[in-house]
Amino acid sequence: MKAPRFLISLLLLALAGGAAFAQEAVEWKHQDFRPEFALFTESEAYTRETWTALPPLEQTRLLGEARQPAGERLAAMTVYYETAMKPWNTQELNGYAAGVKDADIAAVKLWLGQTKAEAFKKKLSVSRAMIKKAAAEGLDAGDRAALQPYLTPEAIADLGSLRAAVSLQRQAAVKADPARNEIPKGAVNSTLQGVTGRLGGSVSGNLAKAFDGSTATGDVTPVQAAAGRHDIPAANTAVSGLTGRTGALANKSAGAASPQRIPATPAVKSSVPAPLPGTAAQKKSTAWTSDAYGITVQVAGRPEPLTFRKARDAEAAIRQLPDGSISRITLYGHGSPGMQTVGDDAYDPDSAAAMLKGKMARGGVVQFSGCNTASIGGASVNPAVGISMAARRLLYFSLPYFQDRMDGVPAAQAREQWEKTWNADLSRDTSLQMRGTVVCGYRTFGLVPGRLPGLTRLMGNQEATTPGYVAGKKVCYRDGREVPEP
Amino acid sequence: MTDLGYLLEAILLLAVPFVPIAVGVLLRRKFSPAPAAEGAEAPAPTGAQKAGRLIGAILIGVGAASILFMLIVLLNFKGYI
Repeated sequence: MKAPRFLISLLLLALAGGAAFAQEAVEWKHQDFRPEFALFTESEAYTRETWTALPPLEQTRLLGEARQPAGERLAAMTVYYETAMKPWNTQELNGYAAGVKDADIAAVKLWLGQTKAEAFKKKLSVSRAMIKKAAAEGLDAGDRAALQPYLTPEAIADLGSLRAAVSLQRQAAVKADPARNEIPKGAVNSTLQGVTGRLGGSVSGNLAKAFDGSTATGDVTPVQAAAGRHDIPAANTAVSGLTGRTGALANKSAGAASPQRIPATPAVKSSVPAPLPGTAAQKKSTAWTSDAYGITVQVAGRPEPLTFRKARDAEAAIRQLPDGSISRITLYGHGSPGMQTVGDDAYDPDSAAAMLKGKMARGGVVQFSGCNTASIGGASVNPAVGISMAARRLLYFSLPYFQDRMDGVPAAQAREQWEKTWNADLSRDTSLQMRGTVVCGYRTFGLVPGRLPGLTRLMGNQEATTPGYVAGKKVCYRDGREVPEP
Repeated sequence: MTDLGYLLEAILLLAVPFVPIAVGVLLRRKFSPAPAAEGAEAPAPTGAQKAGRLIGAILIGVGAASILFMLIVLLNFKGYI
């Protein structure tokens, strides 16, 4: 009887083992899941070690989840590569030669393999070398043959005429150079007697505008190469704006010295498609201090929240959502009495209510995760709350009040201004404009441990879009009345 | 007069974190153990002394934390954190 019992035990053990091993672990970078692992690598979601540590079931689930985004990204990379490997015209040559970075080649290698990355790299290096050579000494027959697989015949012809064009432009510049008709130095010196180094207002303004786009008033307006009367042919790359007509244009310049308006060449998309939003590749930052801010939107019926770094992206996405669909939204950034920033954008009660108008679900929550986004409220025995209130009064009343007084603002006016604003309540005022929605904020400064310099780098969350734990006194309002936190 | 009032207020607010430190130091002094007689062993501290010194230490800690907090808040306000 003992032998059959032993055999049955062995059989049961074998069956149990079989069930346990039926779901086999997937090896890191397994060929069958190449795009999925490329996605994991690019987003820095997993390494070989962390992947191996996962149970097989979890690995299968993650691979399943990654299949679609990985497929989309692979398709985008394939399109990018195939476009980049077609013979370039002059405009594409300029765009790719100037725009492709090492990181782009690394991305091609990751997604499409070593061979394709090498081919792309070779095309780039040959093209860049030939641009330099063409400008310096021209192209010989061997060079033209080497360029044939990479460039269109027109682009090769343009590149071939580059040296001639450059020398013609140089001649034109020399002709137009006033130094040719140099006045004797003695005469110049006598004329310059009594001339100060100070430039006239219009001259200094124009100079400032030319250098950095600033006006004399300190306003900065972008300099547009293709606007106004001061068009300059784009010259940021060796063969910029070069066409088959280049020789004729250069001749015209040399002869008449008239300014030529060359249409601005549209930009060529030379860098690889951006990684998927929200992946570590996009969040990556090596700063010691935190630059965390963002908007997180929890949509009813959707398991994963939508996260945005840029407020404008969030606003665009919110506009697309159906009315009454947002169950919770968190605005994370720096706050001060009556307003909160999210990156470069700021929200006050009006703009926050306008952004979310009609979009909040019944009983939905708006969370302002920023310091002092609610008023200080009543007395508290908590010393941390007390010290925060003291700091708020100092920073948002005393400091600006005395600054105003030093600027000559009358005491009554400064007092009225800052007494009104230092204890403003962003959350309550927003809730008054969003009937039925719970709006929460902080009565105190909110300390986020993850933002501490050094620690933020250690945790790798310099650009987090949600705050995690916040040490601060929270308060919530509905229709302007304080309600318990939902 | 308005300016003077607000200046006084600012000074008092700035002094807030130093108040618990001052009280803590006073408490620890007040409840310091009695000095030992020459050649004799120091007497064991009484319960009141132990409690007084503990409360003093806590207050000093709270004051130090408050100063640190205000520094962090100031750095945050200036945009360094």
